[in-house]
Amino acid sequence: MNSEPTTLLQGTLDMLILKSLIAGEMHGLGISRRIQQITGGTFVVKPGSLFPALHRMEQEGWISSFWGDSENNRRAKYYRMTKAGRKQLEVETKRWGRVSWAIAQALQAS
Amino acid sequence: MPLLVKARSFLRNLLLSRGVEADLDQEVRSHLELLTEENIRAGMPPKEAQRAARIELGGIEQMKEQVRDVQTANWLRSVVSDCRYGLRQLRKNPGATAVMVFTLALAIGATTAIFSVVYGVLLRSLPYTDANRIMAVFEVNSQGRWSHLADPNFDDFRDQNRSFQRIAKYNNDVVSVSGAAQPTRTIVAAVSPDFLKVFRIQPILGRDFTADDAKKGAGPTVLVSYGYWRQDLASAEDLSHAHLKIDGAVYSVIGVLPAEFRFPADVDLWLPADLQGENPSRTSHNYYAVGRLRNGVTVEQANLDISAIARHIHETSSEQGDYLLKDGIVVPLQDSITGKARPALLVLLGAVGFLLLVACANVANLLLAQASVRERELAIRSALGAARGRLIRQFLTEAFLLSLAGGGLGVLGALAGVSALAGLAPENLPRLDSVSISIPVLVFAFLLSTAVAAGLGAFTAARATSGDLRKGLEEGGRGQAGSQGSQRVGRSIVAAQIAITLVLVVGAGLLGRSLLKVLEVNPGFRVDKIITMDVSLPWVEDPKAKVGQGIFFSNLIDGLKQIPGVGKVGATSGLPLLEGGLPNGMFLLMTQNEMPKTPDGFGSLGQQKERLGSADFGVVTDGYFQVLGIPLIRGRIFDERDGPDSPHVAVISESLARDRWPNQDPIGHTIQFGNMDGDLRLLTIIGVVGDTHEYGLDAPPQPTVYVNLFQRPRPAITVTMLSDADTRSVTSAARSILQNLNPEIPAKFQTFSQVYSASLGSRRFNVILTGFFGITALLLATAGVFGVMAYSVSRRTREIGVRIALGAGSAEVLRMVLSQGLRTIFMGVASGIAGSLALTRTVASLLFGVTATDPLTFGGVTLLLVGAALLACLIPARRATKVDPLVALRYE
Repeated sequence: MNSEPTTLLQGTLDMLILKSLIAGEMHGLGISRRIQQITGGTFVVKPGSLFPALHRMEQEGWISSFWGDSENNRRAKYYRMTKAGRKQLEVETKRWGRVSWAIAQALQAS
Repeated sequence: MPLLVKARSFLRNLLLSRGVEADLDQEVRSHLELLTEENIRAGMPPKEAQRAARIELGGIEQMKEQVRDVQTANWLRSVVSDCRYGLRQLRKNPGATAVMVFTLALAIGATTAIFSVVYGVLLRSLPYTDANRIMAVFEVNSQGRWSHLADPNFDDFRDQNRSFQRIAKYNNDVVSVSGAAQPTRTIVAAVSPDFLKVFRIQPILGRDFTADDAKKGAGPTVLVSYGYWRQDLASAEDLSHAHLKIDGAVYSVIGVLPAEFRFPADVDLWLPADLQGENPSRTSHNYYAVGRLRNGVTVEQANLDISAIARHIHETSSEQGDYLLKDGIVVPLQDSITGKARPALLVLLGAVGFLLLVACANVANLLLAQASVRERELAIRSALGAARGRLIRQFLTEAFLLSLAGGGLGVLGALAGVSALAGLAPENLPRLDSVSISIPVLVFAFLLSTAVAAGLGAFTAARATSGDLRKGLEEGGRGQAGSQGSQRVGRSIVAAQIAITLVLVVGAGLLGRSLLKVLEVNPGFRVDKIITMDVSLPWVEDPKAKVGQGIFFSNLIDGLKQIPGVGKVGATSGLPLLEGGLPNGMFLLMTQNEMPKTPDGFGSLGQQKERLGSADFGVVTDGYFQVLGIPLIRGRIFDERDGPDSPHVAVISESLARDRWPNQDPIGHTIQFGNMDGDLRLLTIIGVVGDTHEYGLDAPPQPTVYVNLFQRPRPAITVTMLSDADTRSVTSAARSILQNLNPEIPAKFQTFSQVYSASLGSRRFNVILTGFFGITALLLATAGVFGVMAYSVSRRTREIGVRIALGAGSAEVLRMVLSQGLRTIFMGVASGIAGSLALTRTVASLLFGVTATDPLTFGGVTLLLVGAALLACLIPARRATKVDPLVALRYE
């Protein structure tokens, strides 16, 4: 479970959303469940964090949205990754790799 | 393209705000449904499933707000809400708001109107292709003055320069034109063939001049202005039959120029110069010159180039003397046209800028007073978590609303103001027709309003949000501590206001006193009851024909004397006070025995300095002296003895007699002044008349030689009639008398008072405007003093009540309040006097008869200002003495 301040997690959340969209377009709930799944249940993204993040990322041009039908024929807003989003994911992944390596080093050193 | 995406979402968020909201709403709802479905699939009963979904979704409104916060157009929406709040604030104090908007409208409107004149006259480029590459070229004479060009000098400039693509000469004159609809007095320019090419202007119909058109003896051709073509040539497409009789010769119309081309100002016809051949003298200055710089050549380079040619002429010419050029100069054409108007316009712009500052100070004080009332509101907003930046933005928003409202109203006022200014402006202000509220002027007004808003907003915000805002709450809303500081600031503003007003009013006072001094000048002639009539006959060379023209004028004058109500009638080659004035030249003192055999002999006589004199040359009749009341001091004026064949005589002005013949009687001396009109007969001086201020009341009288029109006839004269009768009836009678003598000669009428009044036009314009600005600033400053004092007294009601309760008499209270006001006034007056001493030097060139530090003006203005300010203090001070201690102590 995760309820830490978004400031700390903002970059991370963006990365996770982008990562989950690699498989293809998805609606909000789908993204949330997908993140839960790929992080082995460590992160549960609540709508209160998810939606602002989605809208912000859409304005950054990393993802785009459209209205479509869900598997049960319900209208739902779908998100898909854009080219800029793919690039952003690479950047974020590299950065995260450096940060996590550095933190792992730091923790081992003590 | 992330930028494009951002721009798109910004626009969508802004413009489709409702659609975006609905979209978000639907997204949240569908999310809820999906969650519910998921829960149902997990085996929950529907109600339970819905509840769990709602719990997981959390606070819907908070989430929506968070989404809105990340939307790019959000800041704009908050600006809208700031505006709405600001408007509410402004509506709460409708009186104060109206005063502030009106004050700003007045100041911004006045500034915009003046700027439109400055822009139209000084800044807007001339309406020609690459107009900044067009230069005016002048000779510089031995006194350092700029003068027209002599033909051979122009030819050297044209042929030897390496700076100009094209260079052309021109001059203009008023002549009689007939052959079109009816005879008219028309402004005609004589130009060299490259004239239009300098301006890159092509005729819209027909052709431009060629070199052949300008050759000596070529068939006379003429180009006409668009307006003349429309009006007098009935827009004829076929010009082959269009002919005009100009100055007695028939010209073929070869082309029509575009409507926007009118250079020199108000010209209707352009003819080739020198159809009779050039004047070979290097000291007959007859032409202006314009040239278009070659690409890459700077004004400085062109100056060096022309100057070198001019100095070469100066060194090598055989015509040495004061009238030979000494140097040459190149200036942008625009500067040469508007240069004279520049200082006065800049002074006016400065004056209106001061008015703007005074107005802004008033508004700032009102805003400040409001802000201190709002301390409590600010404290609450700040306690509820409003950041300081947000509060500052609120103040800025309100200031913007005020300034934009004021600016908008001001522009509307400026629209009216500009036409008023155009009516008020002196006739000699160049380019007045290009003054209007144009796009650049509107941009200026907008930027000005924005700057005012930014200044006012930043100032009040900085004042109101400084210090610990939350203190406002602790003080229980009295806000005494904070307001002490803001009152001090308010008083400094008022002091600054007084200082600026003092500078402005001193400036206006100096200009006003100059105008009075000018009006006190005795011009040397009468002004009232004189009707003038411009008449010009064709130019003739033949001496007999010239004498015939003299007889024509004599008959005309005799005819005019018969008009009922008309007394004396005279004529002159040039009325005093008109721009241009009489021609000026050098004459020779010599006797008949010394007459040289050949014209070259005058050259060696001219080398003898003691024989030379300089004077203006006027051609007049005896009646002219009588009509204008120019007094005879010695000798006699012209009479019937002085016919064309009798010895030629001259009357000279008093200053010439004094300067040229000190301690002698000039009467009986003979002079040679033939260089002015080509008549080499000597002139015997027969009389001395009073000096006249020919060149304006503020210019010293010029030494003048008057010759007799009937001995030295010239084709263009101004008839002067002294008349008690109605101007219109005299005018129509005079017109029909002229018609009877020659139906082809047009005339132009004016009263001499109009000429007189026009000659004071620019001075009056400056005085009226600076006076208006000064009085307005004075009223604003007085209102400012009153406002601050009244506010201070109302804030101190309690304190004053306590003092009175403890036994202070009303005299003491009065003294206390007044002394506080006096300190402010004194500060303002002292810095105002210092400022005036520093700044009035800028108007020195516009002053006459007073110095820039005229003690009378300084003293008078200071007294006026102190008096007005004291009066403004007195009312609140008296109110303070009326404070009832019981009421005051219960106050609040």
